[in-house]
Parts: sequence; C-alpha cells; structure tokens
Amino acid sequence: MGWKEYFLAALFVNIFQMAIAFVIFSLQDVLPLNPQGFPGLSWDSAFMQVISFGTNTNLQHYNGEGLCNQLPNCAALTPGVPGLSYLSQMMAVQFLQFTSATTGICVAVAMIRGFITHSKDLGNFYVDFTRSLTRILLPLCFVASLVFVGLGTPQTLTGYQIVKTVEGATTQATQTILVGPVASLVSIMQLGTNGGGYYGANSAYPFQNPSPASDIFQIFLMLLIPTSLCFVFGQLIGKKRETRPILWGAYALFALDLLIAFTPNLPVVGPGMEVRFGGFFSTFWTVVTTAVTTGSLNASLSAVNPLVILSAFNGMLIQATPGGKGVGVMYMVMFIVLTVFIVGLMSGRTPEYLGLKITARDVKLVMIAFLVHPVIVLIPMVLAYSTGAASAIGVGTNSVGFTKIFYEFTSAAANNGSDFLGATANTPFFNVSTAIVMFLGRFTPIGLLLALGGSMINRKRLTTEAGVRTDSPLFSLILVGSILVLVLLTFFPFLALGPILGFFQGRVNGF
Amino acid sequence: MSTRFSKMMSVRRPTLVSRKVLIDSLVRLNPLRLVANPVMLIVEITFFIVTALAIYPEGFPRVASPSLRLFYVEVALILLVTVWFSTLSDALAESQAKNTANSLRRLEMEVSSKKILIEEGSRRIVPTPSRELRKGDLILLEKNDTIPIDAQVLEGIAMVDESLLTGESTAVRKAPGDDVIGGSQVLSDTLTAKVTVNPDETFINQMIRMVESSKRPKTPNEQAVTIVLIGLTAIFTILIGALLGISLVLSLAADLSVLIALYVCLLPTTIGALLPSIGLSGISRLYKEKIVAKSGRAVETAGDTDVILLDKTGTITVGNRQAVEFLPFPGFTERDVGEAAFLASWHDDTPEGRSLIRLAYEDGFVPKEMNALDASEVYEFSASTRTSGVKLSGGTGFMLPKSGGTGRERGRLRRKFEPHVEGGVPIGSDEIEIIKGAPDAIKKIVKSVPADYDEIVQKISAAGDTAMALSRNREAIGIVRLRDVLKPDIKEKIMAVKVMGIRPVMITGDQPLTAKSIAAEVGIDEFQPEAKPEDKYDIVKREQAETRIVAMIGDGTNDAPALAMADVGLAMNSGTQAAKEAANMVDLESNPAKIIEVVMLGKQLLMTRGAVTTFSIANDVAKYFAIMPVLFASTVPELKALNVLGLGLNTAVLSALIFNAIIIPLLIPLAMRGVTFKPSGTMTLFLKNTIIYGIGGVIIPFVGIKLIDVGISLL
Amino acid sequence: MNIKRELPQNYGPAVRLAVISLVICGLVFPLVITGFAQLIFPSQANGSLVQFHGKTIGSSLIAQNFSLPIFFHPRNDSASGVDPDITVQDAYSQIPRIASATGISADKLQQIVDQNQEGTFWIFGTPYVNVLELNLALINQTGSSVYKNFR
Repeated sequence: MGWKEYFLAALFVNIFQMAIAFVIFSLQDVLPLNPQGFPGLSWDSAFMQVISFGTNTNLQHYNGEGLCNQLPNCAALTPGVPGLSYLSQMMAVQFLQFTSATTGICVAVAMIRGFITHSKDLGNFYVDFTRSLTRILLPLCFVASLVFVGLGTPQTLTGYQIVKTVEGATTQATQTILVGPVASLVSIMQLGTNGGGYYGANSAYPFQNPSPASDIFQIFLMLLIPTSLCFVFGQLIGKKRETRPILWGAYALFALDLLIAFTPNLPVVGPGMEVRFGGFFSTFWTVVTTAVTTGSLNASLSAVNPLVILSAFNGMLIQATPGGKGVGVMYMVMFIVLTVFIVGLMSGRTPEYLGLKITARDVKLVMIAFLVHPVIVLIPMVLAYSTGAASAIGVGTNSVGFTKIFYEFTSAAANNGSDFLGATANTPFFNVSTAIVMFLGRFTPIGLLLALGGSMINRKRLTTEAGVRTDSPLFSLILVGSILVLVLLTFFPFLALGPILGFFQGRVNGF
Repeated sequence: MSTRFSKMMSVRRPTLVSRKVLIDSLVRLNPLRLVANPVMLIVEITFFIVTALAIYPEGFPRVASPSLRLFYVEVALILLVTVWFSTLSDALAESQAKNTANSLRRLEMEVSSKKILIEEGSRRIVPTPSRELRKGDLILLEKNDTIPIDAQVLEGIAMVDESLLTGESTAVRKAPGDDVIGGSQVLSDTLTAKVTVNPDETFINQMIRMVESSKRPKTPNEQAVTIVLIGLTAIFTILIGALLGISLVLSLAADLSVLIALYVCLLPTTIGALLPSIGLSGISRLYKEKIVAKSGRAVETAGDTDVILLDKTGTITVGNRQAVEFLPFPGFTERDVGEAAFLASWHDDTPEGRSLIRLAYEDGFVPKEMNALDASEVYEFSASTRTSGVKLSGGTGFMLPKSGGTGRERGRLRRKFEPHVEGGVPIGSDEIEIIKGAPDAIKKIVKSVPADYDEIVQKISAAGDTAMALSRNREAIGIVRLRDVLKPDIKEKIMAVKVMGIRPVMITGDQPLTAKSIAAEVGIDEFQPEAKPEDKYDIVKREQAETRIVAMIGDGTNDAPALAMADVGLAMNSGTQAAKEAANMVDLESNPAKIIEVVMLGKQLLMTRGAVTTFSIANDVAKYFAIMPVLFASTVPELKALNVLGLGLNTAVLSALIFNAIIIPLLIPLAMRGVTFKPSGTMTLFLKNTIIYGIGGVIIPFVGIKLIDVGISLL
Repeated sequence: MNIKRELPQNYGPAVRLAVISLVICGLVFPLVITGFAQLIFPSQANGSLVQFHGKTIGSSLIAQNFSLPIFFHPRNDSASGVDPDITVQDAYSQIPRIASATGISADKLQQIVDQNQEGTFWIFGTPYVNVLELNLALINQTGSSVYKNFR
C-alpha cells in the first residue's frame, strides 16, 4: 500500500472498531454480562470514551467500577453515574486497547518501511494488523494476564461480592468486593501503553496492582514494546546502528525526566499514595507512564510534587521518551529529521538522514506534525476557561486548577490518558473537546509521518555516509538538546504558570 | 587592459552604507514589500499594534494602561528598528550583488554593430545597436571593434582580446567554429560571425537577472528553511494567542505590549531578517570569483560534493607544460635550439608555446630573423602530424614584428632591443623552416636522426618530464625539456579537499608514469592517465552509480555530456558553447582550479544558513527568562524566581527587545561574508558549529541582555 | 490515488477486520484468560477473598472499614481509597489506643505488628502491614475477650 492507502485502511478499521465499541457502551444496559445493572453511557460520554480507547489515549471520564471506590465500605452504587458492565470492559475497553496498540505498531512499522532501501511500498495494513495482534500482543498478554492473576488480580465474570466485614459480626456492616475480568485488561492496558484502568483509581487500586512485584511488572510491560520498537527501527532498515539516536535520545530524555522528578527530595508516602508502593515507586511510575504515554496511575497526581508533574508534562510533550506504542518511534524520527535539518545544515552539506536528502516537503510534513500539538493543547485549554466549562466542574482559576486543565489537554493530545480530572470531567464540553483533541492528536501526526515514510520510497539514496552521522553519540546529545529547546520553547510559559509556579510557591494552591 | 579590468572589479565595500542603500532599506519597510518575508511582516504588524497602544491606550482595556504610554513608544520604536535592520540587510546584500554584477554588466555596454544582410546574393552592412541583434544574425567584426554579443565565427581568423571577461591578458586567436564573447575586442583582422544568443540571454544578463532578488527563485534548501521559519512563526503565534487568552480568563493582567515583546523575541527574527541576504551574498561571492551559476541550487549541491574530478592541466599544473631546458644535438649550440624554439613558437598562443619564448628570451636567445616573422608562413598544429612550425623567407635586419605574440611580449622585446634597431644585420634571403613537435613525429621528418636522439628523449621521460624535438630545415637540432609546473597553492587545496571527506580524482592525458608522479606530488591517490574526454563521462557515471555527488570542470565539446551529467559542472568560458550550455556554472576567468572554491563556497553557504537559524532558535531560551518574570509580575510575583539574570523589572523587556534587534546588524557581516571555517570533516564542522552557534546561541543572549540591561539602567 | 475510488474498496476488509478483532480481543481472549485463571489461581481470580471461621469476611487486598477502637484502622486518604495497608509507623501510633481499649500490653501489640510487617523492595518504600491481616491476628492471637464476638 502507498501511504494514503495504508493510512485510510488504518483509519477505517479504527473508526469501525470505535463504532462497534460506541454501540456496546451505549447499550450496555440491555446487553448481557452486566451483573451490576449499570445504565448505558450518555452519547457524549460514549463518544469520548471510544475515541479515548481507540486512539490509545485512555482518558477516562468515568470510574469503571461505579463510584464505589470513593469509600472503603461501599455498599450502594451511586445512582446516575455509570460504571462499565463486564461486557463493556471486555468488548469495548479491552477490545480497543488491543486494536489501538496494534494500530500503533502497524503504522510505525509502515513508516519505517519507507526508509528501507529498495522498499516498494509501506506494506499491507490488514496483514500487519493481523500479525502484530496474533504474534505479538495476544501471546504476550496471555502470559502477562496469568502472571497478574497469580499476583492477585481478579479474573472472573461473576458479579461483585458482598461480604459481611469483620466488624459486621456486630454491626452487620457489609463490603462490596469489586471483582471482574481485570487481569486480562491490565495486561493489554500496560503492554499496549493504553493506560485505561479497570477501576477509576487505575493501578492504585489494589486489585489492579496488588503488590510491589505487580507494580514493577507493570512498569516493565509499559516499557517493553516502545523500547523494542527502537530496535525494530534499526533492524528493519538494515542499519542496527541507527537504533542509537532513537534509543539513546529517548532514554537520555527519560533519565532527565527522572532527574527532575526526584530532584526535590526522595519522596515519601503521603496522602494520595498507596503504602505498598511508597513514594519511590509512585514517583517512578508517574515518570514512566508519561514517558511512554501510557497514562495509567498508581497514585493520585495531586499527591506528587510539582516537579514530578513537570517531568510528566515533559514526557507527554515530547512523546518520544520512548513514547507510545509505535508513535514514539515516529515522533523520534520526526525530531531527528528536524534536528538533522536545522542543526545538521551547519556541517556544510544539505541535510540528509539515512542517506536520504531532506526535501522541503519533508520539512513541511514534519513541521505540521510538530505544530499539531500546540494547536490542540493550547486552544481548547483557553476555551475550557473562557466557556466556563472549567469552573463548572469546580476547577479553580489558580495554578492548581490551571495545571489540571493544561494537563488534561496535554494528556489527551499526547494520547497519554493520565489526568487530574477523572470522572469529574464527564461533561459534554470536556467529553467533546478531549475527543476531538485525542482524535487529531492521534491521526494527524500518524498521517503526516506515514506520508513522510511514503515519500522516502524510490528516493535516491546516498550510501556514502558523508553526511552527519546520526549514529554517533554526539548526534544523540545534540538531538536531545534540540528536542528540549524546541519543546520547551513551545510550552514554557504554560509550564511556568503550572508546575513550575507550583514548585516556586512550594505549596499547591493559588496563583 | 589589466588595470582597467581590476578597476572595474573593485566593488564598493559592502559594509559601507551608502545613501542609496539607506533609502532602499526605508522603501522596503512598505508592508506590501515585506509579504515575501512573513516573519518581518508580522514584526511590522506588531509595530502598528503597539503604536496604537501608545496613541490610544484607553482603547485596549485589560491589556494596556495609559500609564505605560512611554514604554509603548519605546517598544514600538524598537520593533520598527528591528524591521528596518532586516530591510537594511536586504538592501545591503542586494546592492553588493548588483555592484558586482554591474561591474560585469559594463562589459556589455550598448555598442553599435555591423549587421550583415544578404540580399540577392550580395552583402550589405547595416549598423545596428547590439540590443537589436537576434540569434542567427550575421555580423561583421573588424579590427578594433568591440564584439557586441556572443557569436560564433564563420569566416576569417583574428586575434581577440578577452581579458576583460576572462582576466587572461593574452590575446586569443579566433578561427571559424570558435566562439567569441560579447564585450571582448578584435585586435587584428576581420571576422564574420553568427550571433548565438538573444541579447537578454547572454551569460552576463543571466547573471544580472539572478541578482534581482525579487525574481531570484528560492533554492530548495532556502525553501525548506523558510518552511521551518513559517512553522515556528505559527507555533509562536498560537502560543502568544493562548497566553493572551489565559491571561484574560485567569485575570493575570499581562500587558499586551509585553506579550508582543515576548512574541517578537521568540519569532525567528534573526534568521528571518538575514535569510535572503545569506543566499544573495553567496551568489555575490560567486560573482566575485567571476563564476556565473545558472541556479543557486548548483551552489548548494556543490557543498555536498563527494568526488571532484580535476583536470591535471590548468587545475593542478599551470596551464600546459613549461619549457625548462634546451638540449642541443652534437653540432648545434644551445643558442641554436633556443632561437629555433623562439621562432617556431612566435605564432603559438598556447601556454606551452609562450613558455618556450619566455625561456629563450630569458636565456638571451632572441633570433635575428624576427623581422621576418611577419612575412612567415605558419604551420598550425595538426593532430595528424603532431607538429607545428614556421617558414621564414628572407628578412632585412633586426626589426620587431608588428603582430603575433602578445602586446606585453612585444613591449618587452622593444625595451630590450630597440637601441639596436638601426644596426640591423641582414641575414640573407634563404628560407628557414623550423618545426617543433613530439620527438617521434620529428624523427619521421628529419633527414638524419642523431645517434643519441632516443637516449635523450628516454632520459627526459624517465624524469617525469616531456620532451619536444626541434628541427631546422629538416635537420634535428635539439630537444626542449618541458616540465609540469604545479599551481602555487594546489597542494594545500588538495589537502583541504581531502580533509573535508571529498575524493579528488586527477584526469590527465599523460602516460601513467608521469601521471603517477604528479598525482603523488600533490597528494592525490586516484588518477586517470591517458584519459580521453569521453573518460570523464564514464567516471561521472561510475561514481554516481555509487550514489556519490560529482563535481567536475570541462571546456571542450567532448566534455558536454559529462558536464551535463555531473552534479556540479563548471565550464570554462574559453570553452565551447556546448560545454557552457551543459554545465551549471561557467567560470568567466576560465580557471579550472576554482572548482575547489565553488565546493567550499557551497559548504559555507549552507553552514551560514544553518548557523544563523540555529543561533536564532537557541536565542529564545534566554528571552523567556528575561520576559516571563515581567509578564505576570503584578499577579504572579513568584515567577520572578525565573529572573536568573537579575534584570530590572522595568528594563528587562526593553533589554530583550533591543538585543533581539541589535543582533541582526551584528550578524550582517557574518551573513555577507559567510561562516569562516577550517577545512575539516563533516562531523567536526557539525560539532564546532553546534558549539559556537547552538550552545553559544543559548549563552550569548544571556550575556548580551544583561549587558544591555545594565546599560539602560545606567542611563 | 483517487480517494473517492479507494473509500468503497476499503469498506469490506475494514469492517471484516473490525468484527474479527472484536471477537478475538473482546470475547475469546478474556474468556480464555478467565478459564485459565479460574483453573490455576482460583483464589486470586475471585478477589483474594479471606475466609475466617468459615465465613468470607473480605478481601486481603481491599481495605475494609474498621471504626472500633479495638482494631487497627486503615487510612482513607490514599489514591484508591481502599489501600489495604498502613505503614508500620502508622500501626505503632495506633497501639496506645488499642492497648487502652483492650488492655493488651503495648509490647504484645507491637510484637503482632512486627510479625505482620511486609517487606519492601530493596531500599525503596516504607515497611507496611496489611490492616485486615493485622486485625485478624489480634482476634486470633491475643485471646482477649474483647474480640470474642468477632470469632
């Protein structure tokens, strides 16, 4: 397929899959496997959620289990706020988590194919999709799911268990144990860098993440495929050394994120954190989950230091540290092309990457892909305030509130999915605006970068290696510098008003 | 001639801002003229906005305050100056380029020509201004005429002075089939020629057209840089718009003028202002080398060169071989050989021929028969006999010939021998025939071959030199040793080329042994001996098949296919029309060694563009730290912690803006002159320039803004 | 490529792939995992439910409400709201209250806390105890009469 065919095939398949999920979300009340009897999702909620899962974002404006997690002893489900039925968790959430992750791998590989010498096209999306799904994701998830069950994650289709508590022997108090098909979802949500949890509290919820061991395993799963894809790049184009700038660049930035996050002091358990993970793993997780744009959480974002939030922003704004499944590599190639073009010009040769001369059209594609992000983050952010949508859900006009709104759209645009707002943002404004942002944040760069890959086919390829050596450590260093400058230049004032201000204030309230 | 030429070429210093440039720079402030430069157009629009703030601050509630009126005036002024610096740079670059071109254009002044009309089989001469000549017209060129336009000789042989165009002081013989260049002068005899171009298609005209920047098409790389600039502009526009929106909805009370200051500081104004002049002054530098490029693209491609094909003759060695020694055969003296060489070479315009005369002259072997040269019969060099020569019939005493040789040589002879003119000695009326040529060719025509003939020739060849034999009246009289003379700085140039990762390949017609010794002497590892012109084409093809970028020079018709195929083809102006048409650059001075300069210039052009772009973007970091603390100073005082430079709250914005403006004129010399660099490998250049313009670009504004701030607060 | 022509060409395979992937990822996969999970790890798969004297009294992974002064109390301010653990420090701070309500010696209580302390990973994190297990240990090991109603 040419890039247009490939892109359209991916887009169609994704849209049809989202459409199916939309129907399941909307009609979950009449469909089977709904032991808790949840109502169907409203149109805007269902619309937002299918785009959220279909774009690998997994921003969740609902609590999968209902609102029960708010209280340790939750007997009654809050009426009117829907949780998800088992069928929705399986055939809408898990389903889209699989397909969006698969799509990510496919489009990345397709783009890389454009860079392969003598490649004739970008491959066939249907073949790629089927193979990635059945040969990579399903087998890995099978093993991972069973590991999670072994570590304590439930996997059952029976309804919530209501038990009489210890004190219930005298007070007759009961507790609802929120079980369900959790393990199968957790495996793909982490492996596929989706991040959408079974529960509202995501991987802070003990069933989703029962122990430090499961925590480390989830971190491992998050990093597994995005890191592997860096190697796939070098492997596919037949120059393993070209993995270096992508891998080294990604992990240098990742290390920098960690440095920022851990700078203030070694974090200790505080409110909003789970005791079993402690401060260290809560902070580490937050950095990882944004570095690979997974967006799952094992602590409340409000609980962590503003510099951890700054580091999280960094991960989401760069999107290539090593970034989301597939798209991380694509973004890194975008940054490499940009760096080779601007900085590489100073070597006295017209810029080239992998022996391919960078044309004005390439630069145009890359610049538009780079431009997408500020547009879809900044404009809705202002709208959220100017339309009153932010204050309607109780978000203040202070630095904390601003950070939450800025984070919401950054997370949506980066297809990350972690957020401060959670179910409180289940309003038509936030549902529709984030849905649009997620869709554009996903498919515009994919389309543009597929076009970049597609345009490399049949291009004259220099084998002289006389240009800037992108496989040198020096280049990786300069790449990291350029990425930081470019991304910081684009978002610095907003970071200054959000987490940086929060850090200066040394407290987390008020401008 | 040469004095006039050098006077013409002395271009007014580019840094000197003439009144004309100043006026031009002001005219260019017209917004309609700025459309081609979007970054600067936006800066000008912000100037109008801030001016509006200054005039009527009440009209902008929430974003402006009447108490800041003076500040608005200051900001507006700096914004205007920023745009003006940009237009000044454009005006300077263009004036510099036009001056260079104009000095060449003067060569092509309107002259009257003699157009030949053929009516009913008879010719009629019609005086016609050169402007009105068209391709295909026939013109008559007589002694002392200035050749009105490029043309091809159909009839006649004449000496033509092309020094104005080529810098070569020697008159050139033009025979049917040769091309003559407009602007050169006929020194002797009469020619009939066919006009080969229309007046506005001449090389000089093509060149002048390229200077007119409005018409100058952007090169691919310039286009791509422009896209980056537009992209960054779009990003910063969204950023500032969002910042204004956030300030309003969160009541952060940012002043519009400060926001605009931040906006302009972030915009890539430095590269935006200098981009056009970088490209234009690159072309100017090429003009100064008297090279006409048919497109800017070729210059950029030159920077990518991997392989450079160097013709030995003219590039590595000075012209042809130089005579260094006369070796007489038994029975003859050195003087006999020297005088014979002098006579045989008098009509030979090749550098080799001239070197024979020079050697003879320097050794004092000036023949008495010189006066007979005017009445001599010339044997032109022919490829079949591989000989040339002269037949003198009679002469009366020592007289200087009236023609032949060059003006300079005649002058030199006159100074030396004029005192003896009256004492001329008759030499009788015997005919003298002198023939020079390749030893084996001379061997065939002489009556008897001296015993040590072959031995002497052999010895000379073994030493890497070339032998030329001389015969007088079919008698072998001696051998001339010809030696290749290296160009003065060629070794350094070859070294520089190699250091930059470019492979030099020497092309020569010499036999392998000679070729090898010369290649080794200048440090070239690859050479093609006994090359035929077609070989160049094969080499270009072979290297390109291995995806290398090939640069080459050429002059003959045989070179045309290779020139057309090479990525960078530099044709000699003295070469054939076909070669010139196939190449993408023409050197008016016909100095093949310039191909190396062209490559360096291409690299320099790209480097300069990359350096200013990187510098411009890197500068933004410091500007954030200068302006962000001030932007929300009244509502978010904590952000003053970002004021790492300790700037005054009232002066920080002005300091950043002034730095942003002043860096443009400070970098104009860099843009005009180009980044200086020592020849080194790609990665070394990449690293060095990244440190200077990338890391330096981050640090310098911190220092600069702080200094300006200190300066302002002292005022 | 003519997009108008490509659109209909893509409908068929796109719809087919969407439906097939729905069945595999959304139905077959979770059901197969459920089957294996129930077979291999039935306890964990059903929520790590805790049996106490024949009755199911909760899950070891989910905090349950303890409000009586004789029990260790869980924390309510954590990210999930059902954090089953408290730090050892937290447990120690509750010992005086429990000691005065039950009459069990503080030393004995501290011993029980220490016995139930769970390891942390390397140097990271803080030692912690599971509240439910701690309280069940109180009921079982102290033999105090205040707990007799809960056995």
